[in-house]
Amino acid sequence: MTALLEVEDLRTSFKVESGRFQAVDGIDLRLEAGRTLGVVGESGCGKSVTALSIMGLVASPPGEVAAAKIRFEGRDLLALSADAMRDLRGDRLAMIFQEPMTSLNPAFTVGDQIAEAIQRHRGLDRAAAWARAVEMLRRVHIPAAEARAHDYPHKLSGGMRQRVMIAMALALDPKLLIADEPTTALDVTVQAQILDLLRRLRAESGMAILIITHDLGVIAELADDVTVMYAGKVVERAPVEALFEAPQHPYTIGLLGSIPRLEREQARLDAIEGVVPNPLSPPAGCRFHPRCPFAEARCREAEPGLGPVGPSHFAACWRTPLP
Amino acid sequence: MTAPLLEARGLVKHFPVRRGLFGRVSGQVRAVDEIDFTLAKGETLALVGESGCGKSTTGRLVLRLIEPTAGEVRFEGQAVFDLSDGQVRALRRKMQIVFQDPYASLNPRMTVGEILSEPLALHDLAPAAERPARVERLLREVGLAPDHARRYPHEFSGGQRQRIGIARALAVEPALIVCDEPVSALDVSIQAQVLNLLKALQGRFGLAYVFIAHDLAVVRHVADRVAVMYLGKIVEQAPTKALFAAPRHPYTRALLSAIPVPSPKARRNRVILEGDVPSPIDPPPGCRFHTRCAYAVPRCKTEAPALVERAGHAVACHRADELPAESPVPRAERGPGAERLARLQAAFSQGRE
Repeated sequence: MTALLEVEDLRTSFKVESGRFQAVDGIDLRLEAGRTLGVVGESGCGKSVTALSIMGLVASPPGEVAAAKIRFEGRDLLALSADAMRDLRGDRLAMIFQEPMTSLNPAFTVGDQIAEAIQRHRGLDRAAAWARAVEMLRRVHIPAAEARAHDYPHKLSGGMRQRVMIAMALALDPKLLIADEPTTALDVTVQAQILDLLRRLRAESGMAILIITHDLGVIAELADDVTVMYAGKVVERAPVEALFEAPQHPYTIGLLGSIPRLEREQARLDAIEGVVPNPLSPPAGCRFHPRCPFAEARCREAEPGLGPVGPSHFAACWRTPLP
Repeated sequence: MTAPLLEARGLVKHFPVRRGLFGRVSGQVRAVDEIDFTLAKGETLALVGESGCGKSTTGRLVLRLIEPTAGEVRFEGQAVFDLSDGQVRALRRKMQIVFQDPYASLNPRMTVGEILSEPLALHDLAPAAERPARVERLLREVGLAPDHARRYPHEFSGGQRQRIGIARALAVEPALIVCDEPVSALDVSIQAQVLNLLKALQGRFGLAYVFIAHDLAVVRHVADRVAVMYLGKIVEQAPTKALFAAPRHPYTRALLSAIPVPSPKARRNRVILEGDVPSPIDPPPGCRFHTRCAYAVPRCKTEAPALVERAGHAVACHRADELPAESPVPRAERGPGAERLARLQAAFSQGRE
């Protein structure tokens, strides 16, 4: 079966004063139609840059995107012209961000913005596009959608803006929605609404979702498959149940141990000591070895590749399987 | 019973909303609206709630960084709002604050050594000759190295900056630290380090914390008691154990239910609250939560419920006794998988297998 999205050996770097900063260092992703893939990691692991690279939104210079393959619906995105890429974005391929004001124009009403995108891509007349915009606002559960369509973005609360951005992203019925930390800036009760909405829209439309987040709770709620990133590399990839029940990479294990849990009392947290490596001079061998209690000599010398550790389950660690 | 370290009674803070050219007052933001709480020496009280609930304003009132509209705060029996400026300065020796964004609270032009020496000089706690040794000790207490004293804040990561913020608060040997979302801006692995540090310091120095947070999982981990706030009111207050075993206010229950749990098995039927938190400028009459509450009855729209305490567990809800018994807190996982994970995770605390 051909995948909806296939990424092979993606390398994205940025030129900085003191050299070249390799934000994403040779990662693979694969996403089937209708599935949800979660990419999780901490600041600087390269997860957001991965999303921007797929969308063709990395500014060059200073950025440089290289890959063996970025294919979406069988089309080679690396070979597309800037115009063709722009046509694809917002149509078959849409993206939402943590901060909705990055995608909303403060000078236009939310109805106008959604209708304009529909008109441009679908060639509907003004009235039909407007009607579709209002319908989209209704689908994302904005109360009094007709009236709200005449509002400017600043009039809306953070949760409502997030809904508007989702309505705009989904107006053209994309096959893939890339969601970069879509609920991080929201209060927890509003976050629950948005996650519920994404689940419902996914079921209605059959779209695939690539969700980028630092929050393993959000991953557990939404994802079918998970890719864990550390310092620009994929360290583990697994179906969601396997990742949480039988994680294999020490970083994943440590990350899960760092989270204070709602469901139990803990005297202290098993924190991962130390800090993420400097991206300009990553450590030799496995990039996690300076913080890893399981590290041995070879971890300091040679970099482990992603190897199978279970059904559809891969980890990049010399020590796997950990008993 | 000994007097509490900190006591707030009938605390109110309204901010005027000004409109137009002449700044006419057109309304009041009722940020904090008649709240009471106490805190014992060495204890942690968490103030938890979403944006606009008044938790940060409460923290600032406690420290008298802002003046109240009404009410009283007593620290070691002294009425904080009656103190002269000089007395407030003396009070700051005993009460400190740690902010969410450590970078914004550290002077970028001062070295870490200067940042940590300043309070020692200001409060006359150590003669100049002894300060470097004191700074060195403080840095070690928070897990930094003595040679970090010569560096500037921008040379540190977010977690290290938060450690510097904590060291600065500790410099004056306070009895109370108000921690205002101290780990919210940090990555998960760093957040755990800082939470462990705060707990260790509390044990070593007998510190009391007012811990302001939006994350109930963090709160469960650090607090002895929890006060849940909604639109300027405390809606539920209880010992941490009791609150998580049997949350009684519909808002607390919805908040617990809304948190995504890092376990796909725990995907559950959640209570999803409709709408956003209403504006504190014109909060709903009656119970402030009634506009989003699944259990609201006509009485809730007109009559504000009092915070009623039973066996140390206080709740402000007309219908608290009628709510379903089932707790919205998911059950902890057990089994060989969970045991393996706990064993492997312990290696991170021990630094080796």
